Amino acid sequence: MNTHLRFWLGAAALGLALVAGLRLLGNDYGYFAGYFVLQYVVLAGAWNILGGYAGYVNFGAAGFMAAGAYSAIVVRQWLGWDLIPGIFAAAFVAGLLGLGTGYLTLRLKGVYFSIATLCLAVVLQTLVVNWDYVGGSRGAYIIHARDIPPFNSYSEMLFIVMLALAIITTGIGRAVEMSRLGRGLQAIRDNERAAEAVGVPTLRLKLVATTLCGALMGVAGAPLPYYSGYLNPEAAFSLAYAVNAIAMPLIGGAGTWAGPVIGAVLLASLQQAATVTISSALNLWIVGWMLVIFVAVAPRGILGWFRRRA
Amino acid sequence: MRNISRRDFGRLTMASAVASAGTLAGAFPALAQGTNPIRIGMSMSLSGGLAGNGRAALAAQQIWASDVNAKGGLLGRPVQLVFYDDQTNGGQVPGIYTKLLDVDKVDLVTSPYATAMIAPAMPVVMQRQMCFVTILGAGVNTTFKYDRHFNMNVVGDNMKETFAKGFLDIAATLEPKPRSIAILAVDNDFAQRAAESARFLARQRNIRVVYDRSYPPSTVDFSPTMRAVQAARPDLIYIASYPPDSNGILRASSELRISAQMFGGGMVGPQLAAFQAQLGPILNNLVNWDIFSVEPTMNFPGVSEFLTKYREVAVKEQTDVLGNYIPPYAYAQMQIVEQAVKRVGKIDQAALAADMHSQVFDTIIGPVTFSASGEWAHERNLLVQFQGITDGDLERYKRPGAKVILYPANLKSGTPRAPYGTPA
Repeated sequence: MNTHLRFWLGAAALGLALVAGLRLLGNDYGYFAGYFVLQYVVLAGAWNILGGYAGYVNFGAAGFMAAGAYSAIVVRQWLGWDLIPGIFAAAFVAGLLGLGTGYLTLRLKGVYFSIATLCLAVVLQTLVVNWDYVGGSRGAYIIHARDIPPFNSYSEMLFIVMLALAIITTGIGRAVEMSRLGRGLQAIRDNERAAEAVGVPTLRLKLVATTLCGALMGVAGAPLPYYSGYLNPEAAFSLAYAVNAIAMPLIGGAGTWAGPVIGAVLLASLQQAATVTISSALNLWIVGWMLVIFVAVAPRGILGWFRRRA
Repeated sequence: MRNISRRDFGRLTMASAVASAGTLAGAFPALAQGTNPIRIGMSMSLSGGLAGNGRAALAAQQIWASDVNAKGGLLGRPVQLVFYDDQTNGGQVPGIYTKLLDVDKVDLVTSPYATAMIAPAMPVVMQRQMCFVTILGAGVNTTFKYDRHFNMNVVGDNMKETFAKGFLDIAATLEPKPRSIAILAVDNDFAQRAAESARFLARQRNIRVVYDRSYPPSTVDFSPTMRAVQAARPDLIYIASYPPDSNGILRASSELRISAQMFGGGMVGPQLAAFQAQLGPILNNLVNWDIFSVEPTMNFPGVSEFLTKYREVAVKEQTDVLGNYIPPYAYAQMQIVEQAVKRVGKIDQAALAADMHSQVFDTIIGPVTFSASGEWAHERNLLVQFQGITDGDLERYKRPGAKVILYPANLKSGTPRAPYGTPA
């Protein structure tokens, strides 16, 4: 069987099993915890396209994610459209933002590019804080219906949407990795000048990667206001998103499609579990230590560690 | 990339499963402890930016729980607080409330501290029709219009027309009459509402607004901003700021020797012991919004006993050592739940809400009644003035006289002193 078809069928089966399992569990908390983990699968997968394959470290994940979240809010306030159109709008706006950022900053390399992406998040936050239409510093509220047939609950609907987005993002990451685009990006990561010399269209590939990365990060953010019912700039531009978007692929194994999934499931599950068990400042300490340990013991992530041992 | 072997995949699945186990483990119902306690659930900011106030609020609520349990519990059952740290991250809040209600099966819920954490809890709480007593939210229910929401905040229903009223009323008693005002506010919900009130009321009273600016929350150097305020030569300086900024603004003002007939307004920070210890005499003559002061006019039954208990645990819990800001309100928040449950005689969310709408609650911060929207029916914004502060000694804040109440008239405990700072 075609490997792509096998992947999509396997992912769909896993998704269905997850939904069925949570339905059996019979409480909404499973959906909320699942949503929390899956949003990071999308975010980490998006980061991996530019950061993992091309080696361009994007510190502005929170900015792109917030651009998606606020696009969904604008679409709702302006046109009255709901979540799904909001996701498409988020992909379009954040993708465009990614393209623009790429065009303006890809002459920068290494740490300079990273700082530029960090600055983008700051600029966007300032814009949102001063934009009253989306609530400005006061934040925006989204009042949603209590039940969305045919789903059992609103949280189940959000979970399924995020699950679909996570599968699509992982599939896109996998397709990129196995395509000429992915190989080109890996060539850029290894030696950009050499890649250019042998005919890799570096600028075009990098622009495709920044656009794709931005769009998927925006998609990760679009359901956020629907999830929390309220979004203010501090929450949307939270540093946690930027840090996790980098930490998760690094822990799982950057530059591979499965790495971000493993890292996100591992780290986000740990964070969620710590929130409802340890439930004190200690959970941040644990996450910090986990990062330190992985950087020291498995600098190429879990996948890299397994491969080295294999 | 080398393809993952089946053995690798097995190992990876195992690793992911170990991590997921923690989350799923939490999804099984927690066992009730002891003799079927009444479980009260809440999310609270125990780490992150709002942890200072969150930890102080939780300490007060735990004192309430031990007080109630010492008296035999509620409806003959012990009370038990079930709380989780939201890390000052609104994104954690919906999950936490779902866990509390669907997994832990708590009987009642109360809120974390402040708007940004309360609002994300609202959809979950509303979906399950729970009665929800919140603390220090600002206008959350304006959007949700939930009839089982009650907010412990002195600002009441109409912040725009009342929040800065005390500041301007006090200013009107000064000689010569102030004719100009500078307004500076941080870009966040509470401060923008406070600044809006000052702007609205100043214009209504023909006080010229000579400076009106906002600054981003990330600002760290306030010297240029305060120089600009100084250059406008206002008679009154109205600041609406949050803790880190309040510190920077007051220090910059001190270094620049800024003086005005009145300085202060809606600064959050000077209410806290850490600020009072650090800033010492810089606070002298500051006229600022507050919610509690240990003045004789606010010595409501039970409050001094509560503060004594709180100050004993505060050092151990590493929270605000004085407890003159959030803690009495957090204790009173739980007293409201307690009194409603006692009157209703059972855990019935609709009946509890009806009781809260109709009754007067006697609490350690005075009598409280709620309006139809769930805000305080009568606003009680305090304007206090720091007087006679010579150093950072916190002992003086345990006695009357250091934080004198100037407004409202029924709680007034002193007269205003002007100006703030040393006149040029």
